[in-house]
Amino acid sequence: MALTGTEADIINCVAGLRLAKKDQIRRRVGFSLEYIGYLCHDLFRRGYLGFSAGHYFLAKERIKTLLAEETPKIDRKLLKEVAGEVAREISGELKRTVKGIKIPVSIRETQKETGTETLEEHIKINTDFNFPIEDESLTLESNISKIGIKTEKEKSDMDKTVNLLNEIYKKGRNND
Amino acid sequence: MTKLKEEKKIDNLKGQIQKGKGVDVGTMFVKCAHTEGDVVVFKSQRNAFFDIEHTDFTRKILDNSGVRYIIKENNLYVVGDEALEFANMFNKETRRPLSKGVISPSEKEALPIMELLIKSVVGEPAHKGEIAYFSVPGEPLDAEFNVLYHIKMLEGFLKTLGYAPKAINEAHAIVLSELAEEDFTGMGISFGGGMVNVCLSFMSVPVFKFSVAKSGDWIDQQVAMATDETASRVSSIKESSLDLSKEGDLSKIESALSIYYNHLIEYVIENIKERITRTKKLPRITKPISIILSGGTALPKGFCSRFKQILDQLKLPIPIGSVRMASQPLRSVAKGALVAANADESRFKLLVK
Repeated sequence: MALTGTEADIINCVAGLRLAKKDQIRRRVGFSLEYIGYLCHDLFRRGYLGFSAGHYFLAKERIKTLLAEETPKIDRKLLKEVAGEVAREISGELKRTVKGIKIPVSIRETQKETGTETLEEHIKINTDFNFPIEDESLTLESNISKIGIKTEKEKSDMDKTVNLLNEIYKKGRNND
Repeated sequence: MTKLKEEKKIDNLKGQIQKGKGVDVGTMFVKCAHTEGDVVVFKSQRNAFFDIEHTDFTRKILDNSGVRYIIKENNLYVVGDEALEFANMFNKETRRPLSKGVISPSEKEALPIMELLIKSVVGEPAHKGEIAYFSVPGEPLDAEFNVLYHIKMLEGFLKTLGYAPKAINEAHAIVLSELAEEDFTGMGISFGGGMVNVCLSFMSVPVFKFSVAKSGDWIDQQVAMATDETASRVSSIKESSLDLSKEGDLSKIESALSIYYNHLIEYVIENIKERITRTKKLPRITKPISIILSGGTALPKGFCSRFKQILDQLKLPIPIGSVRMASQPLRSVAKGALVAANADESRFKLLVK
């Protein structure tokens, strides 16, 4: 079954983003989230798209078919670019497969390798903020304090270890 | 005069105690370390609970038998080691506040129970703003979750208790605890309940750190599926009697455990190899480095030999010297966190002086 115009738009959008969330596709293609969800699911069922961890991506096996088919509205140049990246990724995966154990590579690292990191991912996010937490355990009743906690003791030359660490720290600062 | 002497003694003791705390918040245990003179004191609690019927009668029985419990609204939860015993007795699974090294998203009681368990081992700070280093996992390579929520929740909670909390990677803590004589250069690997954490450190500075979301729990689940047992029962056998050096006469569960241990070790070593190869600015390491194995999943007899055997086959691209178990595999993370806290406190004292 040939692709409709909107389906081709979705394929182009996913090809452009490499990994796309339903909402990102909706923003680019238009239509409601439900309708885009329905179309994406159908494209996934028909083998055009893959889906993992909330993201759609072009199914490797179908890129060749899409390029061979004379589907109107499909951005062939973009698709060829993606096909090249997929080929590089596959050769990288082959190198990573040793003795049948596949070494997992996170989406983020694959993106770095293929140079498809988005602008969003280059931004350093400051996580050094205070986040106030309520002590939810105050509502609990317990006999732990009455019974006590398992305690063990160990003789240790902690001061020696700490001094060594401080010396290394000092040396490091002096070298800076 | 005697009173004055006693007060001086107490002041001295206070000075010795107020050196910070090291907290290991693991999937299996919550542990806190602090120093008292030349002794390190560890307080620990199993990070698991099991719900049983709440009646005055059961409560009384638990009180009399010294079983720790928590009551929330009308629910009664047995906590600590006894939770595992109860789960085995009822042939059910324990509930866990942490899953895969971080606060469990699917356990609705995770937060309050984890907070109570942490509070019970950490206690009150010796002084306001006492430094407490708490262990956190590295970013997982094989799971699409972020550890920021977990870190912020723990940090916020310790702050509520009056501490000045600081996060430390748990594998890095192992290096600080075990590799002082090698200038804190080497590799720490923590085989925990939910994750395996790895850190390569050079002169106490982490070169890389990462985690994989497969470890003891994963082994338990795979073995449970393969042998039609509960994961809690598999875990009990693993903790109490597994011997990985045993070659023949293995039970069905022991065989499955041995197979999955092999798989896990290969998986970790292959990931380390991959990570070393991909690290662009690896410091020039001239001497062979030591690898320290730690954590509850590394406890079975024969684990270290099995690790060495597989490492010999797979080989890392950097020279490896000794591969050994941490002196106390269940305490090394808390102890390493304590080293970091003590070092911070002493630097702070120097600054004040």
